[in-house]
Amino acid sequence: MELQGEADIPAPLEEVWNALQDPDVLKECIDGCQEMSRSTTTDYVAKIRAHVGPVRANFSANIRMVDVVELSGYTLEVSATGGAAGFGKGVAHISLQEEESSTKLSYEVSGIVGGKLAQIGSRLINGVTNKMAAQFFEKFVDRWTANE
Amino acid sequence: MYSFNYHRAQSIDEARDMYSSGQDPVYLAGGMTLIPSIKQRLSSPNEVIDLGAIDSMKGTLTSGTSIRIGGLTTHSEVASTSTIAALAALAGGIGDPQVRNRGTIGGSIANNDPAADYPAALVGLGATVFTNDRSIPADDFFTGMFETSLADGEIVTSVEFPMPTRAAYVKFPNPASRYAIVGVMVAETGGEVRVAVTGAGPYAFRMTEMESALSSNFAPSAVADTRVDHSDFNVDLHASSEYRAHLVRTMAQRAVAQIA
Repeated sequence: MELQGEADIPAPLEEVWNALQDPDVLKECIDGCQEMSRSTTTDYVAKIRAHVGPVRANFSANIRMVDVVELSGYTLEVSATGGAAGFGKGVAHISLQEEESSTKLSYEVSGIVGGKLAQIGSRLINGVTNKMAAQFFEKFVDRWTANE
Repeated sequence: MYSFNYHRAQSIDEARDMYSSGQDPVYLAGGMTLIPSIKQRLSSPNEVIDLGAIDSMKGTLTSGTSIRIGGLTTHSEVASTSTIAALAALAGGIGDPQVRNRGTIGGSIANNDPAADYPAALVGLGATVFTNDRSIPADDFFTGMFETSLADGEIVTSVEFPMPTRAAYVKFPNPASRYAIVGVMVAETGGEVRVAVTGAGPYAFRMTEMESALSSNFAPSAVADTRVDHSDFNVDLHASSEYRAHLVRTMAQRAVAQIA
């Protein structure tokens, strides 16, 4: 599974940087996220209820931030287990760049999915991850545009 | 399987009541997607509401200008009774005999699997979906991968297809499941040409560039060089997005060749 893209966020770099690390903001923006908390400065744990067609699965995820370069970028190492549904592991590189009146966020994700999800759902995984990323950035951008 | 409560609704109203009073409810039509999902423990509803006893949602009604198919009509019944030959052929090519004898048109379109055949028929033939409280044009019905404009608890009661002047559906099936890796419906109805594609993207869509090319020249060569944007196409071990784009052109040419 591979995924990459860009999002233009209408807010100053520092605000975007802080929001991206705020568990409450993340919880609000990730579709189906029921819990998100920070266990150390670089570790997060999350519970996400994923819903694709007839499939509903609850995932618990551990997320670790590594290679953090203040106000510029970092890498996320994610591992998630979904009980009978299977598991997933992935790495996401996030980088931020200041623009005139906004912040450009670029991301590159690669990962693998295993278990039943991968067996029967391999043809769907790219579509699902694309959609989840799009929903995340839509809600994330909304945080600034909705207030105006 | 996890345990769940099984209900057998006798009418659409009763099914709606059961749905709205239940916790985590789900409708069961033919069960060709839901039952495997439950058996795999990928889905665990509390209330399963079987629609199978609602006879008013079964069968086809043909008039001179259209054909109306009840939501619970099986693929085999559509294959043997549809007076639109392309629709009969499409239904007869879904899955295997077991799936065709159980699976229903309403269940298939409400599920909106990206590789299902029926969405291409609805969009390509310009069908109208009737639910328990409204009608929805096919163009507005399919909204995303496994997503439709159906509200929570809404039931597809029937689908109405206008009689086309000519129509053909050609798919490149997955050799094991018979799901469409790419399927293309080409139809001319009331002077309007439509080209609908399933399997390639997150949900069925129209190829407007092919439609206008075919409107001026209804020949396979008219769509042979159409540029197909594959940036959001599906990718899996069976086919890359580039290959799917190629299949869209090839299946479209084959469909046009059948009826040109």
